[in-house]
Amino acid sequence: MNKMFEFAIRRQWSGILAVIIAGAVGLSIIAPAFLTSFNWFVMLRSVCVSILVAFSQMVMLGVGQMNLSVGALGGLVAIIVGGLMDAWGWPALPAIAVALMVGGLAGFINGWLTVRTGINGFIVTLATASAFAGINLGITKAVPFYNLPSNFLAFGNGKIGFFPILLVVPLIVTFALAVFFSRSVEGRYLLAVGGNSTSAELSGISVSRAIVISHIISGLLAAAAGVLAVAQLGSAQPTIGADWLVISFAAPIIGGASLSGGSISIVGTVIAVLLVGLIQNAMVLLAVDPYWVTFLLGALILVAVWINRYRAVHLDED
Amino acid sequence: MPLVLDRVEKSFPGVRALKGASLVLAAGEIHALMGENGAGKSTIIKIITGVHKPDAGKVSLDGKEISLSSPRTAISLGISAVHQERNLIPRFSIAENILLETLPVHRGLIDFRRANIEARCHLQMVGLDIDPATEVRRLSVAQMQMVEIAKALSHDAKVLLLDEPTASITDAESEILFRLVRQLRDRGTAILFVSHKLEEVLSLCDRVTVLRDGETTLTSAPMKEMTRRTLIEAMIGRAERPTIPRASTPIKGPPKLEVRNVATKSGHQSISFSLRKGEILGLYGLVGAGRTELARALIGKERVTSGDILVDGKVARPRSVADAIQRLRMGYVSEDRKHEGVILAHPIRSNIAITIWSRIANRFGFLTEKLEREIAEPLSRQLDIRSPSLEQIVGALSGGNQQKVSLAKWLAADVDILIVDEPTVGIDIKAKAIFHELLNALADKGLAILLISSDMPEMIALADRILVMHNFRIIDDLVNDKRYDATSLAIMSAIHAVEQGSEDQRTTMS
Repeated sequence: MNKMFEFAIRRQWSGILAVIIAGAVGLSIIAPAFLTSFNWFVMLRSVCVSILVAFSQMVMLGVGQMNLSVGALGGLVAIIVGGLMDAWGWPALPAIAVALMVGGLAGFINGWLTVRTGINGFIVTLATASAFAGINLGITKAVPFYNLPSNFLAFGNGKIGFFPILLVVPLIVTFALAVFFSRSVEGRYLLAVGGNSTSAELSGISVSRAIVISHIISGLLAAAAGVLAVAQLGSAQPTIGADWLVISFAAPIIGGASLSGGSISIVGTVIAVLLVGLIQNAMVLLAVDPYWVTFLLGALILVAVWINRYRAVHLDED
Repeated sequence: MPLVLDRVEKSFPGVRALKGASLVLAAGEIHALMGENGAGKSTIIKIITGVHKPDAGKVSLDGKEISLSSPRTAISLGISAVHQERNLIPRFSIAENILLETLPVHRGLIDFRRANIEARCHLQMVGLDIDPATEVRRLSVAQMQMVEIAKALSHDAKVLLLDEPTASITDAESEILFRLVRQLRDRGTAILFVSHKLEEVLSLCDRVTVLRDGETTLTSAPMKEMTRRTLIEAMIGRAERPTIPRASTPIKGPPKLEVRNVATKSGHQSISFSLRKGEILGLYGLVGAGRTELARALIGKERVTSGDILVDGKVARPRSVADAIQRLRMGYVSEDRKHEGVILAHPIRSNIAITIWSRIANRFGFLTEKLEREIAEPLSRQLDIRSPSLEQIVGALSGGNQQKVSLAKWLAADVDILIVDEPTVGIDIKAKAIFHELLNALADKGLAILLISSDMPEMIALADRILVMHNFRIIDDLVNDKRYDATSLAIMSAIHAVEQGSEDQRTTMS
C-alpha cells in the first residue's frame, strides 16, 4: 500500500486525478444532473476526439518536436472520409481506411520535409497546416458533407450503458501507445532521440528515421481524431480541427510531458483530457459562459508548466 | 596593486577546480596566466569576471576586498574581459556593440550620429580605422577582437583580461595586437594575458602565474627568469600520479584498426596510424588540435573525404554511427557526457541498454524492462555505479557515475574498438583512478582502445603508444616508456617545435 502511494505521489498526474475526483464529488452535490447516465455519455463521448488529438501532439513532444498541423490534418481527413461516403457513396470501412492512409501520408510529408530540408519542424508544420487547410476548403468550398451511412452514424451515437462505443478507439490507442513507448524498440528510439538527440545518434540510433516515424504516427492519430469527430458530429464539417491546437499541447503538458522532449506520460495525458472534459461539463451544468473554458485551459497550461519547471529545478539540485 | 587573488578556492559538484590559487596583478604590467587544460584557468577567469563566486579566499581591488556578484559588477569596477568566444552581436554595427549599454539617446530615440562619433574615438584608442556604422559580422576575427578591446576600454577598464587572444588570428595580426597591448600597459592598464603559446608569452609578458591542478605553481614570477623549459615544467609538474602505470609489455599482432592517409571534412590531412587488439593508443593534443573531430570521423559522425579506414585488414569506412557500432563493432565515449554521452532524464537501465535495443528485442521489435535490467545489472556492478536502483534517472547521479554509465553502454554493446574521449574530465580523483584501472583491464581483455586525453599524467600512465596531434595532423608517434618527465617533455617539445617551425615558415614567406 505504501509503495503504491509513493508511486502515485511521484507522478505529476496524481494531483490532477485528485482534482478530478474532488471536482466530480463536488459537482454531483451541486448539480444533480451530473450523475445521470446521459450526462456521462455526453461527457465521455466528448473526450474521445480530444484524447487522440492530445496523443497526436504527445508523440511529437516525445521525439522533441512539435506538430502545428494536427488540427488542419485532422480537418482534411474529416472531410475526406465524409466526402468519400457522401459524394462518392463509399461504405464506411474503406473510406476510413483511405482517410487514415491520407493522415499517415501527410505525417510522412511533415517528417520528410523536416528531415530533408533541415528546416525547424515548427515552421514546416506551420506551412503544411496552412496547405492542408487550403486543400480542405478547396474541396468543400466550406460546405459540410451530411449524408453519411447509417452504420457509421450508429458507431458515433451508440452506447453500452453510459459508455459511448466511440470510446473503444481511444482505449485501444492508449493501450497500443503504452506498449509502443515502453516495450518496442522504435518507441524507445523516439524517446531517446527526444531525450538527447546527439547522445542517441552516437549510440547508433537514426535521428531522421525517428523523426519521420513520429510524424507518421502523429498524422495517423490526427486522422483517427478526424474520423471520430465526423462520427460524433454526424456530419463532416470543414471546421473540424480548427480548435484543436490548444488542447493538443495542453493535455500532454498538463499530463507531465517535458517540452524539451524525451519524457511523456500517456496516463497523464488521458487524465488531463478528462480534467478538461470535466471542466467543460461543469461549465455547461452550471450554465457558465463556455468561452471561459478557453481561459481556464490557458491558466491550466501555465500552472502545469510552472509545476514542471519547479520539479525540474528541484531535481537538478538534488 | 589593482587586482589580488589570495588563496582562492572553488569547487563544483565532483571536482575541486581551484584549491588555493593566488595571483597579484599590478597596474602597468602584462601578466601571463598559463596552465594545461583543466588546470583551473577558466575558473580563475570566471571568478575575476564575476561569473562564479569563490568558495574561499579573497579577491581585492586597489587594496579593498571586493565581492564580484555578477559580470556587471566586475565591469563597473573596471574589470573587463575579451573572451575566446566573441561576445559581439554580429548584425549590430561596431558603434552599437561598443556602446551597447550606454547608447546616446536623443528625444527617446537612439542618436546614431553621436554614437558613431563616440565609437570612432574608442576605435582610435585601439588603432582601428573603420567606419563605426559597419556591421560587426563583416569584420575579420582580429578586427572583432580589437572592437572588443575598444568596448572594454570604453568601460574605463583598469584590468583587462585577454583570453587566448591569438588563438584564431594570423601572426601579422598578432603583432598589431601585441603593439596595442604594450601601449595599454604603458598607459597603466593591468593586463592578464591567458595563452598556451610559450613563445609569445615569453616575449610579451612581464610576469607569469602558472596553474596546475587547481593550484598556482608559479605566482607572479618575473618572466625574465623563465625559459621554455621552466614554464613547461611548471605547467605539467613532476610526476604526481594517482594511477599506477600500465605494465609496459609490447603489444604484438596484426592491427585491429588501421587508418591510412585519411582526410576529413573538418580538416584533417594524411592521418595514418594503427591500433592493435589489447593496446591503449593515446592521442594527445591541445584543445582545438582536432582530436574529437577525428574520433567523430572514425565512428561515422563526420565525413571522411579520402583515405582508408581498415578493420581487421578489410577496408571499412563507416557509413553512419549505427553502421560503425553494428558492423565494425566500434564505440565512442564522448568527452561531453551530459550533452552527448547519456540521456539525463532517462533511467540508468535504458541508458546502458540503448546500444543493443535492436539486438535484445524479439522478432516483432519488442523488448522488456527485465531484459534491459539483465544487461544493465552486471555492468552496473562491474563498474560500481553507485545508485539505489537501476531506475534512477542518470541526471541524478554524480559526474563520475554518469561517466560510468556512458562507458557501460559500450560494454553492453560488446564492442571491439573503443574510442574514449577525455574520460576523466570533471570527475574526482577516486573515480578517476577507478576509471584508469577499468580501461587497463579492458585492454588486457583484448579491446583496442584509442584514448584521447589532455591529461598528461593520465596519458603517460595508461597509453602504450602516444600519437601527438597538432592542427589536425599527427606530428609524432612515440612509444610510451611510462617515464613521466622524459615523455611529457618529448610531447610538449614536439608541439612547440611544430608551432615554432610554422611561425618561422610564415615569417620567411612574408
